Amino acid sequence: MAADSEPESEVFEITDFTTASEWERFISKVEEVLNDWKLIGNSLGKPLEKGIFTSGTWEERSDEISFADFKFSVTHHYLVQESTDKEGKDEESEDAIPQSMQDLLCMNNDFPPRAHCLVRWYGLREFVVIAPAVQSDAVLSESKCNLLLSSISIALGNTGCQVPLFVQIHHRWRRMYMGECQGPGVRTDFEMVHLRKVPNQYTHLSGLLDIFKSKIGCPLTPLPPVSIAIRLTYVLQDWQQYFWPQQPPDIDALVGGEVGGLEFGKLPFGACEDPISELHLATTWPHLTEGIIVDNDVYSDLDPVQAPHWSVRVRKADNPQCLLGDFVTEFLKICRRKESTDEILGRSTFEEEGREVADITHALSKLTEPAPVPIHKLSVSNMVHTAKKKIRKHRGEESPLNNDVLNTILLFLFPDAASEKPSEATTSIDNSNPPPEGEDYTLYNQFKSAPSDSLTYKLALCLCMINFYHGGLKGVAHLWQEFVLEMRFRWENNFLIPGLTSGPPDLRCCLLHQKLQMLNCCIERKKARDEGKKTSPSDNVTNAYPGDAGKAGGQLGLDHLRDTEKEKGEVGKSWDSWSDSEEEFFECLSDTEDLKGNGQESGKKGSTKEMANLKPEGRLHQHGKLTLLHNGEPLYIPVTQEPAPMTEDLLEEQSEVLAKLGTSAEGAHLRARMQSACLLSDMESFKAANPGCSLEDFVRWYSPRDYIEEEVTDEQGNVVLRGELSARMKIPSNMWVEAWETAKPIPARRQRRLFDDTREAEKVLHYLAMQKPADLARHLLPCVIHAAVLKVKEEEILENIPSVKKIIKQIIAHSSKVLHFPNPEDKKLEEIILQITNVEAIIARARSLKAKFGTEKCEQEDEKEDLERFVSCLLEHPEVSVTGAGRGHAGRIIHKLFVNAQRLTESSDEAAAVVLPEEELKRSGYPEERRQNATSDFPPPVGRELILRATVPRPAPYSKALPQRMYSVLTKEDFRLAGAFSSDTSFF
Amino acid sequence: MDEDVLTTLKILIIGESGVGKSSLLLRFTDDTFDPELAATIGVDFKVKTISVDGNKAKLAIWDTAGQERFRTLTPSYYRGAQGVILVYDVTRRDTFVKLDNWLNELETYCTRNDIVNMLVGNKIDKENREVDRNEGLKFARKHSMLFIEASAKTCDGVQCAFEELVEKIIQTPGLWESENQNKGVKLSHREESHGGGACGGYCSVL
Repeated sequence: MAADSEPESEVFEITDFTTASEWERFISKVEEVLNDWKLIGNSLGKPLEKGIFTSGTWEERSDEISFADFKFSVTHHYLVQESTDKEGKDEESEDAIPQSMQDLLCMNNDFPPRAHCLVRWYGLREFVVIAPAVQSDAVLSESKCNLLLSSISIALGNTGCQVPLFVQIHHRWRRMYMGECQGPGVRTDFEMVHLRKVPNQYTHLSGLLDIFKSKIGCPLTPLPPVSIAIRLTYVLQDWQQYFWPQQPPDIDALVGGEVGGLEFGKLPFGACEDPISELHLATTWPHLTEGIIVDNDVYSDLDPVQAPHWSVRVRKADNPQCLLGDFVTEFLKICRRKESTDEILGRSTFEEEGREVADITHALSKLTEPAPVPIHKLSVSNMVHTAKKKIRKHRGEESPLNNDVLNTILLFLFPDAASEKPSEATTSIDNSNPPPEGEDYTLYNQFKSAPSDSLTYKLALCLCMINFYHGGLKGVAHLWQEFVLEMRFRWENNFLIPGLTSGPPDLRCCLLHQKLQMLNCCIERKKARDEGKKTSPSDNVTNAYPGDAGKAGGQLGLDHLRDTEKEKGEVGKSWDSWSDSEEEFFECLSDTEDLKGNGQESGKKGSTKEMANLKPEGRLHQHGKLTLLHNGEPLYIPVTQEPAPMTEDLLEEQSEVLAKLGTSAEGAHLRARMQSACLLSDMESFKAANPGCSLEDFVRWYSPRDYIEEEVTDEQGNVVLRGELSARMKIPSNMWVEAWETAKPIPARRQRRLFDDTREAEKVLHYLAMQKPADLARHLLPCVIHAAVLKVKEEEILENIPSVKKIIKQIIAHSSKVLHFPNPEDKKLEEIILQITNVEAIIARARSLKAKFGTEKCEQEDEKEDLERFVSCLLEHPEVSVTGAGRGHAGRIIHKLFVNAQRLTESSDEAAAVVLPEEELKRSGYPEERRQNATSDFPPPVGRELILRATVPRPAPYSKALPQRMYSVLTKEDFRLAGAFSSDTSFF
Repeated sequence: MDEDVLTTLKILIIGESGVGKSSLLLRFTDDTFDPELAATIGVDFKVKTISVDGNKAKLAIWDTAGQERFRTLTPSYYRGAQGVILVYDVTRRDTFVKLDNWLNELETYCTRNDIVNMLVGNKIDKENREVDRNEGLKFARKHSMLFIEASAKTCDGVQCAFEELVEKIIQTPGLWESENQNKGVKLSHREESHGGGACGGYCSVL
């Protein structure tokens, strides 16, 4: 029948599934999934290597199926293995018992330190679990459990899948699984018992052996040998002999900023509690046979010290409180606050008063002022001083930051305030010292933060510190306000801001840093201009902090200075810099000096104004040996205006404007015109420096490739060099020509300023004043993260933990990606901070462990090395075996730790109450003798694991001999038996 | 019109004055050649949408002036660029020699380090060549740049240069995706969740 009817049946036979029940449909779905995952048939892998469960990679894939409206998830867990050799497969695939059954007996991976529970219980390398898809759902009733079990049994039978299939029953937390594995003529049932209370007879080996034997029900005598593996786990919680040294820093003591290593500008580091909470010692007897040892309810041979194999793991405290992590996290939280500085400080009231004061004291100044200037320009200095007073008065409470703290911070941020001749001194230092090179220093490039020695960076750290220890958000708002006032004070009084590299804003830094640099540029220009102009009248006004600032007995120089400034400085304030920018000329110091130096060459400058266009002005130096084409005079490079410094937001604005002009010819023309100011200015300077010059001369300096020289032989046969403008410069009325024609001979210092420092400075100051604490935090977060990373790096170097080095590298790479975007998502920032906190915790753990194991105290060099290696392994691996078990060096230390802990418990027990041990005894359910026995060195084990294995024919003596296995684990409040019992389905 | 555009890329053209930066750009955007193109003042700007491997990319190309004095102005425009075209004139060795200066400038002012650089030797239609193709190749290899020789006049290699550059940018992970475009699951996430374990856990006994 088979031969010729088969093809026909394939074509004509109709299978009717229309009346299938939910159950049938469920089974077919299970089969479908198994088919999809190609779990059909037997594929024998290599024997499992020792430790492969831990070192190998586990993967899982899942799918969702439903039984009526109840959703299940099907998950396939498997150890990733190299594909098996084909030869092996051909020979034995037919009759071999399934891989999973063979694995039941494999002893290479008993008690894996980290594994799925089913792997731990049954030693499987691959299995499928069907569990309720919704976390809270559970299969509770017995009939439903049975229905599920039948379903998988049918599905396995239908598909020929040899991978064990489990169903999870009861509540999820109980981790109850039932399962089945089918092979050709064989079947293994996976069964489980889970109890709260342990029947007394199962607490020891002999009782468990009895269960195992009765379960196998082996008819043979003598019974084939049962192999036994035992593991007892002891926990050490009391580290009495070792106290966690790191106390949370004493906040009250922090005045002046020297206490407890918590200076401003430094970040705290370390865990506040011991990040290692427990030490677990597992003593293992990996291979015993029945009869070798005795372990029953009255006596036990299982002495942990004698166990052939020891391994240790440490339990890390969950989220130990880490100072650095907390610090940064708290700072991030400011980013989410919505309040403005005014709202926080209630400033509206104090501003009112501030203005009042200004009005009264400066009424006269106001009158004489050449142009209206923004508010509280004049009152700044005394406002700073009175700000605190005002706030206090109004709210009837202390200002957020007390004076001492505020002064310490301001002195830290502006060290020049304390020294004599401040701004000159600091800037010269800044300029002469080239910025240190190095990976750490240039980190700000990647983070878009600011150099670690910059004001911005320091400010970030101070705000961080204040937020954490001194008044939180209010303190932050307060300091920021003081900072902004200080900025204005410096702008008005021509004091350069310290801690910023000179030059145009560094676009690789954060915007706030750029803004400060911009302000510094403005101050620099204003100062140069004022100094250049002011020859006599304001000479008596010292543009430096008074020398007696230091003597001001406790009073900070800064405040003191403001007072003095207020008294005598007001009048001398540089009026000219407030004048309308239209009349402002670009002028710089170098220009004037240059002029003096070039005095005799440029002729005595002076009153011969009518000859102005003939008198060269504003020469920088001669341009090589070039001479003017027309009159043969040497060609001079003029002093030129420096291009306007730009911050990235200005730049963005400008390029947007330029881009908006479009790509048409007119647009391009307009764009060129807008940018020709600089060209025009240079042309004017050039004309002033080189009377009688032509465009050709200018081009030879400015764009030499546009002046083309050719050797020409003239009529007399002489070779002459003849030059002309390039074709593109000769285009009639091109912009260069046009500009050249409009340019008047005016030296740079008398030209209109290309860069209006007054306006730009006001813009920056306004911008700064508008920043809410949240904005500020966002600006400075990159700096804080930068600092945190540096801190972690610094601490790691002390401990030298390779894995941490790797993580830090990852953090840097990750952060540089995240922080380069203008508005990084909070989630990503949190992630970075979390990573940093983790590293901090790892380092703290390393320190804790080193202290506990006393690696420093170890005298012998080789032992010390071993111990250090052991400790670092503890950090990196889930479980570390102890060389030499209880007799090795590390083993002896661990032993001692336990002994000490025991002694302490005993003594405290005796001191406290006699009832206690008894209670404990009842709870743990250990017979008294055993407890007595153990107390000598070790506490009672918190976990007892046993694996019993045998190969026994089942169910009948003539059945095939098949693997049987039972795992049992006993902990304080949990007892579990997990059995896998195989039977022959052909011969029974 | 912009809907199917994958991304907008900022590209910068730099190089000594008179090497043909604006001409290359004009050839690329308008497919024309003007022997009398005025010298650029400051920066100029052109837009073109091109399609590479089926991905449409809008290019915002900033053309800069090569004159020394303008150079103080242009570094600001390096910011945020994803690609840079560095041009020299094969008939003028000095424009080739100066390339090192330009690279230094790039290094100093670029805000990101994974930016794609392309070296273009222009004016290969001219006869008085001074810089050999191999020299250009060698330079590009040394500084890991793309390299092509081109002529804005005859149109040789121009289209190809821009396409190649864009393709390379798009292939560089993290270079062009803006924050919100980057919706894919980060690998690091996966790894983390893996360690935590599913199923109620890769658990220890206790």
